[in-house]
Amino acid sequence: MDNKPRILLIEDEKGMVEAVRLRLEANGYEVMTSGDGEEGLIKARSEKPDLIILDVMLPTLDGLKVCRMLKFDENYNDIPVVMFTAKTQEEDVACGKEVGADAYVKKPFKSEELLKVIGDLLAKKNQPPSQNDTTASI
Amino acid sequence: MAANNKVLDNQESESQLLIDDIKEKYFWGIQLRYLIVAVSLLPFILSFYNSIFAGVNIRLISFVAAYNFLAHLLYLFKKKYKLWQMIFIKSVFQLLDILAITLLIYTTGFMDSPYWFLYLVLIIVSGFGMFFYYSISVFLIAFFSVLFYLGMFWLAYNQILPIYAPNFNIPPAEFLNLISNKAIFAAASFFLFAATIYYFSKLLSEQRQALSQKNRQLLGALEEMKDVDHMKDEFVSIASHELRTPLSIVRENISLIEDGIVGPVEGKQLELLSTSIENVDRLSKIIDNLLDISKIDSHSLNLNRKRADVSRIARRAIEILKKKAGEKNIYLGIRWRDKAMALIDADQIYRVFLNLIDNAIKYTPNNGKVWVIVEDSGFEVKSYVCDNGPGIAAGDLPKVFERFMRFSSTDKAFISGTGLGLSICKGIIEMHRGQITVESEIGVGTKFIFVLPKGEKNGQ
Repeated sequence: MDNKPRILLIEDEKGMVEAVRLRLEANGYEVMTSGDGEEGLIKARSEKPDLIILDVMLPTLDGLKVCRMLKFDENYNDIPVVMFTAKTQEEDVACGKEVGADAYVKKPFKSEELLKVIGDLLAKKNQPPSQNDTTASI
Repeated sequence: MAANNKVLDNQESESQLLIDDIKEKYFWGIQLRYLIVAVSLLPFILSFYNSIFAGVNIRLISFVAAYNFLAHLLYLFKKKYKLWQMIFIKSVFQLLDILAITLLIYTTGFMDSPYWFLYLVLIIVSGFGMFFYYSISVFLIAFFSVLFYLGMFWLAYNQILPIYAPNFNIPPAEFLNLISNKAIFAAASFFLFAATIYYFSKLLSEQRQALSQKNRQLLGALEEMKDVDHMKDEFVSIASHELRTPLSIVRENISLIEDGIVGPVEGKQLELLSTSIENVDRLSKIIDNLLDISKIDSHSLNLNRKRADVSRIARRAIEILKKKAGEKNIYLGIRWRDKAMALIDADQIYRVFLNLIDNAIKYTPNNGKVWVIVEDSGFEVKSYVCDNGPGIAAGDLPKVFERFMRFSSTDKAFISGTGLGLSICKGIIEMHRGQITVESEIGVGTKFIFVLPKGEKNGQ
């Protein structure tokens, strides 16, 4: 049970939350959700998920701010963040990169695309610690 | 508020125009007086050598020079005068001008002096102002001209002023008779002249005002149009943004059902679901295109121009579309000789290639051929996207780049896509200051040609 990767989904659109949760759970992830930015930030800090999916347009605190607050905090900056957005403008992509988002998925997305992004990020994140683990065990 | 400010601004600028107008005339008046003084000083200097020139009245010249110098000082003293200050100063010097003319008449033959026409010159010059209330000054000038002119006679009649004129040994009764004749002549003709000038200058200024008002209205309308245009762009941008969220939920839900995550699906159901997804994707592509078109229209599509190899971009697009061409067993190839470097936005040019090649594949029947050629001519990069498809009728060719254009072909394959792709291509190429054209022959094929300038640094 413990090795199920935990993903925090911060998204205010209920339909979207439901769909993504179903998809992720079907692919063997544990999903936590949060409907607004502030709550999401608190949850991210208390739960320390393996990955965060973050919508840009959120009530109370927008996604870019949430991302920046996590990425500029060294306790949490190793959590990969996938930005979710309906915006397609290149400036927004640049903005997302600037606040430290690891990936950027544009709505409407293909589920395979999202799963691939998540898979890649988790693999990348787990690689260095796994090396550390082996050295520690030796 | 904003509208009020605009009106205020306009009023201000109008009075500023008036001030500038008066000031300009004032300035030219100064220059003219200097010229007159200089010209009259010449015979005065000559009079030291030859007594022919002795008749020059140095006192009058000095008077004009003195007040003109004062006028010049006032002109230089302050850059910005208020309207009433400017009118006051101008009026004072106008009066001094009239006085100088009167003195000139007095010294040059008195009653027989021809210089009364200078009064009329003053009326003309001041009459053609920019605004009609300014040209009221013509009546004032006429009035003061008459006043000074007759005043001079009156002073002479009462023997306060001595008379130098040669033929002036006439008895007072006859003199009075002469003066009254002159008085009627002067008053009537000066005022008649002033009225004429007033009439024409009023006509002129009214026309000017009507014109400037129309200009202002047009400017206002233009401003409004820009606002509306901006609102339209914003609307498209927000609408497309708002459309995407529900669309992505629909897509994800269908895809969940299709993948059997929420229960088993089979056969026909799967087919319907897959068609639904295809159409959701199509819809989202239309939204993207609409957004792009609106950006191109409002010139807010930012090009990120860097030096890049056009042929490489073309090869990348071909690589992506190989599979699609393979499905129809279409040969897809490229011919290029060398790097074709140009200052371009690689992503946008990639889209152009993608769009054109995709189109070509779409409209070319099975087992057909689609090929791309990239040529670097040294100062521009010319790219061709060709196919041996059915071709486009000559009548349809000019309409190819129009929005939502549908070819009048019976081929069902034509009826898909957004009808915006080519229009976007054209927009992108034109933003690069390039050109895109199409050549086609029915039954032979179609050729899209676009030319991109290489940018500042030629060759590499």
